[in-house]
Amino acid sequence: MKAPARAPHVRLDLIVQRLALAAAGIAVWWLSSLSVPHYILPGPARVWEALRLIAANGDLWNNLAITLWRVVSGFVTAALVGLPLGIVLGANQRAGEFFEPIIPVLNTVSSAIWAIFAIIWFGISNATTIFVVFMTAMPLIITNVWQGTRTVSADFIELARVLRMPRWKIMEKIYLPTILPYFFSGSRLAFGFSWRVSLVAETIGSSSGVGYRLRQAADLIRTDQVFAWTLTLVILMATIEMALLKPLENYLFRWKKDVEMQ
Amino acid sequence: MNSRDDSREPCSDGAQPPAIRLIGIGKSFANGDRRIAVLDGVHLTIEMQAIVGLIGASGAGKSTLLSIIAGILKPDRGQVCICGAASEEFNDWRSVGYMFQDDRLLPWRSALRNVEFALEAGSVAREERVRRARAALELVELDAFADAFPYQLSGGMRSRIALARSLVTEPRILLMDEPFSRLDAQTRSLMHEELLRIHRLKRMTVVFVTHDVAEAALLADQVAVMSPRPGTIREVIDIEIARPRDITQPEVTRYMQRLRSAI
Repeated sequence: MKAPARAPHVRLDLIVQRLALAAAGIAVWWLSSLSVPHYILPGPARVWEALRLIAANGDLWNNLAITLWRVVSGFVTAALVGLPLGIVLGANQRAGEFFEPIIPVLNTVSSAIWAIFAIIWFGISNATTIFVVFMTAMPLIITNVWQGTRTVSADFIELARVLRMPRWKIMEKIYLPTILPYFFSGSRLAFGFSWRVSLVAETIGSSSGVGYRLRQAADLIRTDQVFAWTLTLVILMATIEMALLKPLENYLFRWKKDVEMQ
Repeated sequence: MNSRDDSREPCSDGAQPPAIRLIGIGKSFANGDRRIAVLDGVHLTIEMQAIVGLIGASGAGKSTLLSIIAGILKPDRGQVCICGAASEEFNDWRSVGYMFQDDRLLPWRSALRNVEFALEAGSVAREERVRRARAALELVELDAFADAFPYQLSGGMRSRIALARSLVTEPRILLMDEPFSRLDAQTRSLMHEELLRIHRLKRMTVVFVTHDVAEAALLADQVAVMSPRPGTIREVIDIEIARPRDITQPEVTRYMQRLRSAI
């Protein structure tokens, strides 16, 4: 009776599994914390206390908001630059051929190096984190959009030509919908990277934000707070991924057979 | 009054111009440093409202000729006249529908939005577009599937939606490049009935490319038989069988044999 994969009782089953996994994780954490000093590995109760403290004094929300704002700014800028650039590089073969080596070069430069450059150029400011996020996300988005442009079907363009569709409408009605899934998966990847990278940038080039607080807590050997910040981030990222991005993807690409089947 | 004007003269003679007139069409493609003549001296006149089949061995240039009629390929020599106007001066291409070998539906659009696509090249208002697309779907009896995506539909349904898309512009001429060749035999014969039913309603001129003598004998008023290398029209055969026609009729079989021997 397990055949219909979309039946609700199967999902309930999955939730139970997930909860069991989380409980097991917490149990292992708690057991290991018993035999080591709390500044090496604080137990779940201690971390919960730290979390309550930073949530109560507003520290948590302020710094999360600051970091989120920086990540979103850098990411949106990267998308606004990366999407048209990827389309141009994909649609224009000569430009594509000429600029092709730049993308792997950009991708090999570590985010930590961008962070160091950003401090030299922008000092301790918002721009430092935004720049690092931008430099990390943009090549990822360009690469994906570029790849998507190559999959645009010559048959569909011929169809549009037979209908005497002007070139800009072909861009809008054939190119854009073909590229959108690639842009979306590139963006998801880039957004995930942006979060991780923003912390690195804030750790060395900022006086606010989650990354800065993490380093501060580590400097003061407040390991319980390091855990509290980490936990918050993990939960936030998972929520954005599961409650926002995944449903959005399922809706946008409902015309794809495999999305429907999942 | 120079010679170039003279060559266009034949387009505008007579009060009732034919739907399509081809005068001495020639086309060759480069193949390495050689040029291969695909079409040479093709003459053909297709009257308004007629159903005409183009048949011939592969390589006879049938599809090339159809592309030239559709104006998406330029001939090297000769003159194409559409509804009494020289092809290069004809400005009503939206009254010429085109159906491809495959259904060529956009996978990210619903059936209705796929039909609308044909109207989006022009400046038809959105409500008008939806209204006409719905009417076209009703014409092919698929209005119940307006919101379905292509992957949810069968091959025959997809083909009918492609037909609706090429009819939504209310074309006076419908060009079809082996439109049903990828369908199974049963679905294909349903599509033939569908096409003839719509032709009785809309009276558009139909030109279809086929390699199937049965299809030609069942659908066409006239069949132009093409011979290859270089492609030219060898013979135009009038199919004088009353409609409705049926594959089991001896006359149909006779015409099929005649077409087969002409190819």
